[in-house]
Amino acid sequence: MCHRSVGLVQGEIERAGIPTVSLTMRPEITANMKVSRAAWVRFPLGNPLGEPHQPAQHHLVLSDLLHLLETATEAESLVELPYRWRRWERWI
Amino acid sequence: MIDRAELRARYEEWVERIGRDHGAANNRVNGHAWFSPLAKPLAQSTVALVTTAGAHLDDQEPFNTATSHGDPTIRTIPADVDSARLRFAHTHYDTASAEDDPNVVLPIDRVHELVAAGRIGASAPFHIGMMGFNPDPSRVADEAGPLVARLLMEAGVDAVVLVPG
Repeated sequence: MCHRSVGLVQGEIERAGIPTVSLTMRPEITANMKVSRAAWVRFPLGNPLGEPHQPAQHHLVLSDLLHLLETATEAESLVELPYRWRRWERWI
Repeated sequence: MIDRAELRARYEEWVERIGRDHGAANNRVNGHAWFSPLAKPLAQSTVALVTTAGAHLDDQEPFNTATSHGDPTIRTIPADVDSARLRFAHTHYDTASAEDDPNVVLPIDRVHELVAAGRIGASAPFHIGMMGFNPDPSRVADEAGPLVARLLMEAGVDAVVLVPG
């Protein structure tokens, strides 16, 4: 439901004319919400940017989000990020 | 390659499940896939964050996690606040990482670093905290969403990054 809330708020911001991009760990929800731009990261819930105190990892993910903001040309642009979760044996 | 048909099937299962678990039969998606292009380069843009991970400041009222009806209210989080003052009220994901380092869900310090590096023009004066557990989506779509959009417009925000919990 966190993801549905993101999708609905994202839609309203985009509707107001401000470009948006969102991160998702639940692509099945995000892909069906009619949002503008989203990036799917295979990290567990609670860790969308990665692990605590790993700024380089956070910047990697943020960089991909900013890149999508700059390059997407149409609505419902969904990309999958290549990162995998290693720290804990805990998945989506 | 993203298999959209598979995502659609999983989505339909999810809708059925939340209807069963939360009585949330009134599922909602955006009425249209709105798309706004960037008006200027990111290096000249003011960027805001929105998270539904339950982020609020230590002196703000926590989101109401005691009710099964959810809480569609919002918190404005000044961008220059010490990120150690962030708290997380959300019972539908493990908040341990966010409590250890708020940047994993609200990368407030990372935004300052992106400004310093010249990658983005400026941080918005505030970011937005929400709590994403809302079985009734209409108050998010009809009240919280438009309110957040208006606040960001009024603050002159050029681009927004949204992060779930």
